Amino acid sequence: MQKLTNQYLVNSLFLLLIVSSCSTLNVVKGYNLVALEKDSFEVSYFSNPEMDYVYKANITVYGNELSGIFIAKKINDTTHRVVFTTEFGNKLLDFEISETEFKINSIVEELNRKMLISTLKSDFRLLLHNHYVVKEQYDNNVNKVFLSKEGKMNNYLFVSKSDNTLNKIVCSTKRKEKINLFITSENNIFAKKIIIQHYNIKLRIELNYLQTKLN
Amino acid sequence: MKIRVYFVLLLFCVYPFISFAQEQKMSENEIVIFKQVVKEVSKKIKTLSTDFTQYKHLDFLSKDIESSGKMLFVAPSLLQWQYKKPYSYSIIFKSGKIMIDDEGKKSAIDVGNSKIFGKINKLIAGSVSGDMFDDKEFTISYFKNKTNTIAKFIPKDANLKKYIKQIELTFDKEDTTVIQVKLLESSEDYTRIVLKNKVLNAKIDESIFSK
Repeated sequence: MQKLTNQYLVNSLFLLLIVSSCSTLNVVKGYNLVALEKDSFEVSYFSNPEMDYVYKANITVYGNELSGIFIAKKINDTTHRVVFTTEFGNKLLDFEISETEFKINSIVEELNRKMLISTLKSDFRLLLHNHYVVKEQYDNNVNKVFLSKEGKMNNYLFVSKSDNTLNKIVCSTKRKEKINLFITSENNIFAKKIIIQHYNIKLRIELNYLQTKLN
Repeated sequence: MKIRVYFVLLLFCVYPFISFAQEQKMSENEIVIFKQVVKEVSKKIKTLSTDFTQYKHLDFLSKDIESSGKMLFVAPSLLQWQYKKPYSYSIIFKSGKIMIDDEGKKSAIDVGNSKIFGKINKLIAGSVSGDMFDDKEFTISYFKNKTNTIAKFIPKDANLKKYIKQIELTFDKEDTTVIQVKLLESSEDYTRIVLKNKVLNAKIDESIFSK
């Protein structure tokens, strides 16, 4: 009886492993696992310290629409300064973010909510991340996919084969996709349009690049 | 060579005093006259339309963020800011409501119960017409230079102060109308709005404000 139970447990665990590994691969369904062509991936979209990255931001959260201006700048080797303002220019949120540090310079009372801050922190850490360590690589006719692991999270970086640009990042746990980040870029240097789509909460952030010098 | 170096040094030392000297505090008498003129001018403003350019200055950025558009004001408190470049966005302030048109997406916020929005609304409308000399709400100081008069407003309300540290209105000396609004969030970060091509008391179709 004991033996049977053990066998049942082993089978269940094996099944669970198969199921979970299958769901892991859902993100890259139809892709082939291939040999690594590099062990790291550099993202250049927010990496130029001389550039002011300014975007019109439209946020949909649980059916409510918010809009404003999103500003990011690399202020040293590890850190970005990020500011959200209204169209009038009033600052709503001002923070500094790196891989390990997060410091709020100012925040309006209405946005000072723990959950919101932690969501924005993980979103913008993903968006502004420059360097990924690649663990696995997948391939199909259209894209190359680089898998990078950060703690419990898997980040899948989709790179178009036709123009060699990073156009999507899927952030998932072993079982579920949490965030999809869609990027439309220009020459792989900066992102013209970014959509951050959440799946565990009803949140969508759309950023459209702004030409900030008129005439 | 040495003389030239001294000259340059002298110029650097004196320059801050020159620019400081350009902005002088107004006398009590001048303030009384100025406030009276502004009140008279703003009383005559039934409608106002103007182009504007907005410069958002954040100290850590390499250049200001520019946007521009048109502003319409109908006394006493109908106001529309319409950004045309680099994005299309319009915001209407009308009897306790804010109506927003963001690239065709329309929404409305009822600010009737929100004291802070009400105050910001009143402040923006007031700043455009120039009539916001409320000593209960602000600590006001007055300055002048060759071409302009500058009024600086520090909010007394602690809540409002969190959003806006100081407002500076620059008035054209000739016609005593506002030509620049500067909203300071801190000493380093501010929004500067320059008003140009002002037209006073032309007919404005009020249906614009109900869109």
